[in-house]
Amino acid sequence: MTAEAIKRWYFVHKWTSLISTLFLLLLCVTGLPLIFYHEIDHALGYTIEPPELPEVTGRASVDAMVADALARRPDDALQYVMREADEPDIWFVALGETADAPDVSAFYTYDARSGEYLHEYPLRQGVMYFLFRLHYDLFAGLPGTLFLGAMGLLLAASLVSGTVLYGPFMRKLNFGTLRRQRSRRLWWLDLHNLLGIVTLAWLLVVGVTGVINTLAIPILGHWQATQLAEMTGSYRGQETAPSLGTVDRALAAARAAEPDKELSFMAVPGNDFASPGHFVAYMQGSTPWTSRLLTPVLIDARSGAVVDSRELPWYVIALLVSQPLHFGDYGGLPLKVLWAVLDLLAIVVLASGVYLWLKRRNVPFETWYGAAVAEGDEALPAAVSRHGRSA
Amino acid sequence: MSRRGKGRRTWGAPIALALLSVVGLLSALFADGLGDVVSWVALAAPVAAVVWCMARSA
Repeated sequence: MTAEAIKRWYFVHKWTSLISTLFLLLLCVTGLPLIFYHEIDHALGYTIEPPELPEVTGRASVDAMVADALARRPDDALQYVMREADEPDIWFVALGETADAPDVSAFYTYDARSGEYLHEYPLRQGVMYFLFRLHYDLFAGLPGTLFLGAMGLLLAASLVSGTVLYGPFMRKLNFGTLRRQRSRRLWWLDLHNLLGIVTLAWLLVVGVTGVINTLAIPILGHWQATQLAEMTGSYRGQETAPSLGTVDRALAAARAAEPDKELSFMAVPGNDFASPGHFVAYMQGSTPWTSRLLTPVLIDARSGAVVDSRELPWYVIALLVSQPLHFGDYGGLPLKVLWAVLDLLAIVVLASGVYLWLKRRNVPFETWYGAAVAEGDEALPAAVSRHGRSA
Repeated sequence: MSRRGKGRRTWGAPIALALLSVVGLLSALFADGLGDVVSWVALAAPVAAVVWCMARSA
């Protein structure tokens, strides 16, 4: 690579990093506890385990749970009923001020076997919610989310340019050399290069899937406006069908239509993920991969008959698969711990990058680059070192 | 050292660690049990590389 090309790549690396580092540090620091969101929620009592009921094998009526939920908040409307694949003894019932209100107003947990009310999730409160909002949208809604997505794109550009620079900076060094006898700066440069290159693939995947996640609202909005609108077309503008008392029938129809799948969540008539005249049951498969993919099953709310079901388009699948790859929640606690360790290494890469820039911002690039590369690996035979210089 | 040998010296370990990372990221997405174990081992590789380099230079 020519000296001119190296300098240009350095320019890209410096500016993409400088613009984004503050926000990336915020994302890495808030993201660290968010890796353990589920465990922390549980430890704080925000979520609960269903009681042991070995003698109960039956399934309670979901309609009865919905009726109980609506009795708790008579002014609200049903939005969704949901399950979690690894928690079959629980149903969640989500209400909103209206069926299509953007925010959920209450999130109740019911026992799937007895139908008993178990718990209400405390919405929009607590330190984890605060950290989540900082990580998700800086408390600024969609513009905040999209802004953080742009910072993620800068991260990708910074990783690519940093990788290009890794070659010339390391051309005389063995992998992982940390020169500690010369200067503190050189040691930090070597550490920045080592940690940057070993976390490269992981950080690129977490960064790019994070960017895809920031597009969730536009992606789902596009799907609602195209494929879902096409599926529910003839019902648009109609009066909203009642959902109370017809949830179990719709669920049974969806399960009969997709016998190999289980419900992930079901949107009720009037919700943006359904239509005024339909339930839409989003069914998931049972393998690790197919459990990520959802099949929307459209059920006529008045007749209880399945009307249509389709596979999701590629861009929604990309969003659904981006979620686990960003959260790290798909391989048990050991994977979460590794996620946390790699996140800490990424924080060191970011911080050392700032340190190196602060120390060298008044020194011309050619000067310190020359010095950094000339002080090669002492362990290397002189002949190899000399030859390396000519390349 | 030949140009090829030099490329391997600079890029051998980074490419191997990147491939291991990708295998680790994907294996748990496609299989439970063994897939999870493969992901733990493969994603521990970059962390182990850091520990090894730090220990060696200490």
